[in-house]
Amino acid sequence: MSQTPLTGAAADVHPETRADQRRAGLSRRTREGLRRSGLGLAALAIVAYSAFPIYWMVISSLRDPNKLFQAPTLVPGPFSLESYEVLLTLTDYPTQFRNSILVASAVVAITIVCSTMIAYALTRLRIPFKTLIVMTMLYVYMLPPLLLAIPLYGIFVWLGIADSLLALAIAHCTLTLPLGVWLLWGYFKAMPFDLEEAAMVDGCSRLGAFLRVVLPLSLPGVVTVAVFSFLLSWTDYAYALVLVSSDAQKTLPVGLASMIGAFDMRWGEAMAGATLIAVPLFVMFTFLSRYFIQGLSAGAVKG
Amino acid sequence: MRSQFDWLIYLFFGLGLLVTGAFIVVPAVHALWLSLHQANSFIAAPKWVGFENYARILADPAFWNAMGNGLIYAGTSIVLQVVLGIAFALVLNEHFPGRRLARGFVVLPYLLPTVVVALTFQWMMDGSVGILTVLAREVGLGTIPWFEDPVAAMASSIAMSVWLWTPFVTVCVLAGLQSIPQSLYDAAKVDGAGAWNRFRHVTLPQLAPVLTVVVLLRGIWMFNKFDIIWLMTKGGPLGATEHLPILAYKRAFSLFDVGGGAAVASISFLLLSVLVLIYFRLFPLEDRR
Repeated sequence: MSQTPLTGAAADVHPETRADQRRAGLSRRTREGLRRSGLGLAALAIVAYSAFPIYWMVISSLRDPNKLFQAPTLVPGPFSLESYEVLLTLTDYPTQFRNSILVASAVVAITIVCSTMIAYALTRLRIPFKTLIVMTMLYVYMLPPLLLAIPLYGIFVWLGIADSLLALAIAHCTLTLPLGVWLLWGYFKAMPFDLEEAAMVDGCSRLGAFLRVVLPLSLPGVVTVAVFSFLLSWTDYAYALVLVSSDAQKTLPVGLASMIGAFDMRWGEAMAGATLIAVPLFVMFTFLSRYFIQGLSAGAVKG
Repeated sequence: MRSQFDWLIYLFFGLGLLVTGAFIVVPAVHALWLSLHQANSFIAAPKWVGFENYARILADPAFWNAMGNGLIYAGTSIVLQVVLGIAFALVLNEHFPGRRLARGFVVLPYLLPTVVVALTFQWMMDGSVGILTVLAREVGLGTIPWFEDPVAAMASSIAMSVWLWTPFVTVCVLAGLQSIPQSLYDAAKVDGAGAWNRFRHVTLPQLAPVLTVVVLLRGIWMFNKFDIIWLMTKGGPLGATEHLPILAYKRAFSLFDVGGGAAVASISFLLLSVLVLIYFRLFPLEDRR
């Protein structure tokens, strides 16, 4: 991250001559101070811009719901957990949370197993039309979800699994599998075949070589795929909206969205629900930010 | 032992391809097929009508309105995201205390589900007690009709989308900035280039490949974006924020014109294919790590 040497202030002043600075009428120290405070202010503004809506969401969820409709104040308080209590005891939120967890875990598991296998096969085995398969994967990854959602719904009706968590998990895999194959294909391709060959010469089976050499070395890629599969499934709204209609099968995003536009909009509960969806993502980001950044700059997320 | 695993690989490979084939390729082809049929529900047997759906859709002013809205929405939000993203990355690339933390905060919006973003902004833009409404009133802008006025609704949708997706650009540009050799800047300074000229003649050209990817990917995805606008405005008021994905959804799921919805989706699919092909052309598969 910070391997860039001397990007900052020191390098900036270096090649200029004293005469330049005298002409500018400012001592080196003042200029440096101005620069630093300007930079600090800019950074602060950027952080405030990025974080304020999130801050507002969290403190609104923790505020006494009766106070929400008075003139808003920027500081938190008066604190109350009432919104959370109502949300968790009187609404379908816990069921939806369970549904979301089920779907996301299934999606992560299926994606990891299938995409490592496909990517491995595509880089190590003799398979016809390899490039075509990878191209198709990348191509479908860019398709509008809605284009697929309309016929997918028909297919699920035909299969008799419409309006079920299974259908939703399969639909999410159509987003995550191409992503996983694409990312891992890159990883496996970059890994020299010699390593596995050496392991196999030393008596490892192909499975042993795969489990002991290929997987550990490409672990960052596998973690990135897991993280983004979870993220895509956990946050998906479009597929869930189209494919699931009964209350018992709704996932968090759709459940929460159905609060929007209700006659009696209960903002405290809505913000509590929003916060609880976001928390697992923030926790994941805190521990796995490396993989997030890596996947992001590889263009991993459809968003 | 060896053959046993080969068998496993082929099994999962086959399964994976089957899932991809059955649930991605088949639906995509099915969508194209549906667009050539008249179907009033998902259960009734579709009737072949040739290109009638397309003719009907293309003659419908709502389609051209949606196309225009989509271009305005995608174009404006991409330009803003890229400009803001570059600016943020330039600041976050400098050294200052708390830089790591600041970089973390900047990514947060991108992690949020669109539903959460939509709800939070709706709350902040609540007509009477929303924090943004109140702030706008206090600085003398009056009560802003965030989503009631056609122009304001489009502007609000764009502003939210920019907030949500700028981190993608920031992270990519930041990665790009870190790969620019410092010697280039030193050389430029020796030649007497000021900060602006260094940015213009060193940073920007060096970032060009990253920016091309970013703009293409953002273009592909912003053009498809369904959920954020749907959640905020449902395409209203008076169709002012209705773009192609919303039109397709409304046709298929509320007007039960499945063929027409599929035709709209297919048209945007074909348009996007052009962008995707450009992407493949510029970044051939073989060069990719």
